[in-house]
Amino acid sequence: MFLNHFEYFAPQAAKDALDLCDRLGAKAKILAGGTDLLNLMKDKLLKPEYLIDINNVDEFKGIFYEPGKGAVIGAATKISEIERSEIIREKYFALHQAAGELGSVQVRNMATIGGNICNASPAAETPTPLVALGAKVVISSLSGDREMPLEEFILGNGETALAEGEILTKFLLPEPISGSVSRYGYIGLRDAMEIDAVNLAVNLALGEDGRIIKQLKLVMGSVFPRPLVSEEAPEILIGKEFSAELAEEAARAASSESKPISDIRASAEYRREIVAVLSRRLLQEAFSAAQGEV
Amino acid sequence: MGVWDKEQYVREGVPPFQDERRFTQVGKSVPKIDSPAKVRGEAIYTDDIVLPGMAYGRIKRCTEHAHAKIKKIDYSKALAHPGVLAVLIGDEAPKKWGMLPQTANETVLAVDKVRFNGEGVAAVAAVDEETAEIACDLIDVEYEPLPVLLDPFESMQRAGEIQIHEDAPGNILHEGEQVFGDVDKAFKECKYILEREFKTNMPQQGFLEPQAALANYDPQNGQLRLWSSSQIAHYLHRQISDVLEMPMNKIRVTVPTVGGGFGGKAEACVNEFVACLLSRKIGRPVKVTFDRSEVFYTNKGRHPCHMKMKIGLDADGYIQAVDFDNTLDKGAYAGWGIVVLFYSASMIHLPYKVPNARFRGRCVYTNKPSMGSMRGLGGVQPRFAMECMLDELAEMMGISPFELKMKNAVESGYTAVNNMYVPHTEYKRSLQKAVEKSGYLEKHGKLPFGKGIGLAGGYYITGTAYTLYMSYKPHTSVLLRVDTEGGVTLHCSAVDIGQGSNTVMAQMAAEALGVHFEDVHIQSHDTEVGTFDLGTFASRLTYATGIAIRDAAEKINGKLKEIAAGLLGCRADHLAIKDRKIYSIYEAERKSMEWEKVVEIAVNTTGSLAAMGHFSPPRRRGFDLTSGKRAQGANIGHSPTFGFSCQIFEVDVDLETGKIKVTRVTESGDMGTMINPMAADGQVEGSIVYNLGACLYEDQFFDKDGIHLNPNFQDYKMPTIMDMPEMDINTLTDSYDPTAPFGAKETGEGAVQPTFPAIVNAIYDAIGIRFTEVPITPEKVLKALKEKKKGK
Ligand SMILES: Cc1cc2nc3c(=O)[nH]c(=O)nc-3n(C[C@H](O)[C@H](O)[C@H](O)COP(=O)(O)OP(=O)(O)OC[C@H]3O[C@@H](n4cnc5c(N)ncnc54)[C@H](O)[C@@H]3O)c2cc1C
Repeated sequence: MFLNHFEYFAPQAAKDALDLCDRLGAKAKILAGGTDLLNLMKDKLLKPEYLIDINNVDEFKGIFYEPGKGAVIGAATKISEIERSEIIREKYFALHQAAGELGSVQVRNMATIGGNICNASPAAETPTPLVALGAKVVISSLSGDREMPLEEFILGNGETALAEGEILTKFLLPEPISGSVSRYGYIGLRDAMEIDAVNLAVNLALGEDGRIIKQLKLVMGSVFPRPLVSEEAPEILIGKEFSAELAEEAARAASSESKPISDIRASAEYRREIVAVLSRRLLQEAFSAAQGEV
Repeated sequence: MGVWDKEQYVREGVPPFQDERRFTQVGKSVPKIDSPAKVRGEAIYTDDIVLPGMAYGRIKRCTEHAHAKIKKIDYSKALAHPGVLAVLIGDEAPKKWGMLPQTANETVLAVDKVRFNGEGVAAVAAVDEETAEIACDLIDVEYEPLPVLLDPFESMQRAGEIQIHEDAPGNILHEGEQVFGDVDKAFKECKYILEREFKTNMPQQGFLEPQAALANYDPQNGQLRLWSSSQIAHYLHRQISDVLEMPMNKIRVTVPTVGGGFGGKAEACVNEFVACLLSRKIGRPVKVTFDRSEVFYTNKGRHPCHMKMKIGLDADGYIQAVDFDNTLDKGAYAGWGIVVLFYSASMIHLPYKVPNARFRGRCVYTNKPSMGSMRGLGGVQPRFAMECMLDELAEMMGISPFELKMKNAVESGYTAVNNMYVPHTEYKRSLQKAVEKSGYLEKHGKLPFGKGIGLAGGYYITGTAYTLYMSYKPHTSVLLRVDTEGGVTLHCSAVDIGQGSNTVMAQMAAEALGVHFEDVHIQSHDTEVGTFDLGTFASRLTYATGIAIRDAAEKINGKLKEIAAGLLGCRADHLAIKDRKIYSIYEAERKSMEWEKVVEIAVNTTGSLAAMGHFSPPRRRGFDLTSGKRAQGANIGHSPTFGFSCQIFEVDVDLETGKIKVTRVTESGDMGTMINPMAADGQVEGSIVYNLGACLYEDQFFDKDGIHLNPNFQDYKMPTIMDMPEMDINTLTDSYDPTAPFGAKETGEGAVQPTFPAIVNAIYDAIGIRFTEVPITPEKVLKALKEKKKGK
């Protein structure tokens, strides 16, 4: 129940935050919304000697969009801000949907997108749509910034590519290609505060004719230690005219690629089944929406 | 017909002065008197209280085993830790406690062995909570693991090899049989016979406020004060006296604001004993507040039941016989066990006429948290079985379940074969109203595949007929005081756990005295300031306090009327008191006085007014009406009167994911007069969501070693606001039980009864699958749908 004793820092500038990270290394933890971190500390699973609170660092926050280039989202941006953002809703609908499903209003007001990614829970809400949208992360340290696709950043359950002294500072979302649409969905027992049994995102683009699939990314959550990008679904659908049968085939393929486990939330078998259902539904939904776009 | 006769019903032409139902305070939706403080965050809960010199207690729990011998407890390091004031172990308080003195078998802290995962093995008192937690970690306990029994059938089977309690051979707490009429003969004459098995889950109450207790033992005068979040100030008082071996009159129990109970606080709790024992040990106040995992470890949730039921109907659809076999998973300790066992037995006798009935049941120990008294105690499980089976039987007969239930429903004045007596019921009208409002008859069997509508009914007691220990004293006493300084004050130790008893008592006292609701001050929640009350359980408070209040008010009114009669120059029995006026019912215009003025004169002549009022339930005995023979445990289930209700659920089943969405609930209940309709609606809505959760997802999980897998609200799922269905509550507004105070019965637990079967019947209507086990998760639905497809 009680946290270990720690020293608390609240830097105001990015430079100071990076400086602290560099000096304190593995003994420190970044504190964003604290909605994951404090639970782990209360359960004594983590006992950091220092906490570096990044909530006062303006450079780590906010949503910026430049037409043609895409969006930049600061890692310390609150989930509720993402949920309410007009531009995210317009351009990156799957992320908008996922943000609205994370926890409850109270949790969304505290939680950050960087925290959701760095916590790297396989059942988390935002990694799936972010990967589907082709997000990259910017990792900063005193020695400079490095960039990598989100797929490469999340390594496994609770594991990321962050090295000592580094902070995840930004997400880079490319400008969606024309005619593209993204959708997110999940299945759990109840309709809020749910740890998803399965979640899924698709990002689909149609050609000029409004029937042929030009681009597709289908990403599965909660069925593998990290977001799982379907390889077969795009092979089945890209370059083809969309049909219910093809969508079903792609959905089945995605389902057979998934590698879920059984736990108290659901059995592996059920999860695999749901991957197929959600895939088909989201493909259909995205296709219909994309038709409206072209 | 019985006491209640349709003729009396007609209110037209009844002169107002003779109409005991023309209320001014009762039947009004006044806001609950505790709401403003709660909404503003100002209500004081037990954990909010801090006393000078207070220490913090914490319990060391066995989280690594579910059944193990305690080889050694070494607390020397803990005791030596700075800030630690005392350590307590089981041997220091070996006296056994339990709700029923006859089966009390729980100790404050485990003695010699632990019987469920998370049982307390030691406790500490320290200067702050953090030190207390560290001290618990410093206690070393050596265990020898024992085989773990989690299933009641396995527990009975392996009892020869491993016994959970030394004095419970067969691992059975109690086994019983009740026979009424001739069941076997009756079945022979039945045209429609159905036999089914059902299994229920292990939900827990889910109250928001974890248990908290603060004890202050005064070494100078040997008095003990206990503040605790409890539903049962009196039973707690008794048990503290018992375990601490102190006379009750040296102990005072006060219940601050309670953040929900639902039966989960209707038993003494370990933290209460620990706080008292530690306080006595160190001579300082000690507070012990649970965290959520402790609530789960020690929760006294609903008994999982393995039920076999057989129902027979004659050619016309009249129930002739019910045979019911129930195996209850008791968990580790006895608690309410025997009571729950026999409540489940009594539930087959209502709300339908059953001329022949047999019950066989057993309450079996397992290495799980002890089950207890969860809202709707003993009723929810058999109601699930019976209402689902009647739905199926109606289908066998080719008639509507509504018709079958109407045909068999009881009427006012009915005496069941086990001698349970129903003075008043409007069950049939509840069924009719819900059916009418929901369009059930137009929809049932006619909705597209995947959409369904289901009906179920139910009833519950309005208080019990007996105390849990041998005593026939009144179950509730109130003291009403009227004076010129404090106005009207009602004293009663009854506890409002959020259901609204304080508000309802104020309304009833105001009605009975002829004053206004706002005039009444309530002194409850305290065994010293309040007069005797048995406790908040069995949906008893409105009825019990109502009768006692009326009794006391009549005595006060008598005195006031005598004085007013002299002043007004008329007969006292011609006077009525209403709306703060005393007036002649025949000459209201001419002969009338302000109530306050009469009170002033009364006080000036003979001093403050005070009167006691009491409630004692009718003492009914359970026996076989056909043979006159007694049946064991059959005194359980009787009640002064009963509440009834009907719920109709509409569901959408996602055929691909198995997810069930409850789209609409239509309810109609018979609770007699609604003293406060707004609060009554709240009870009904709360009841529906309560069991909706338990029907669709709530459950506790244990691994094969009995380790609790979801002792938190993250993995134990309760409905959120997003899961609330649309609810149409149509409580009968003209139901009035003439045998009840102000005509009022119960709704606190009655409205949870129909929920399981109404949902399950709706699912059947949607997809043609009859579920006999809850919770019905999407995964189970999908599996069943697949099997159904294969079968075709
Ligand atoms: C009641 C409740 C419900 C929840 N429901 C959901 C849900 O439905 N879906 C879901 O996905 N999650 C849910 N969560 C989990 C949690 O809210 C989210 O994962 C949230 O996004 C975490 O963000 P945070 O800012 O609170 O992270 P924190 O707890 O502050 O941090 C999490 C981890 O990431 C590290 N970290 C944070 N930011 C950075 C950074 N910029 N650079 C490097 N490391 C960093 C921290 O050091 C820590 O290890 C829930 C949590 C609670 C308490």
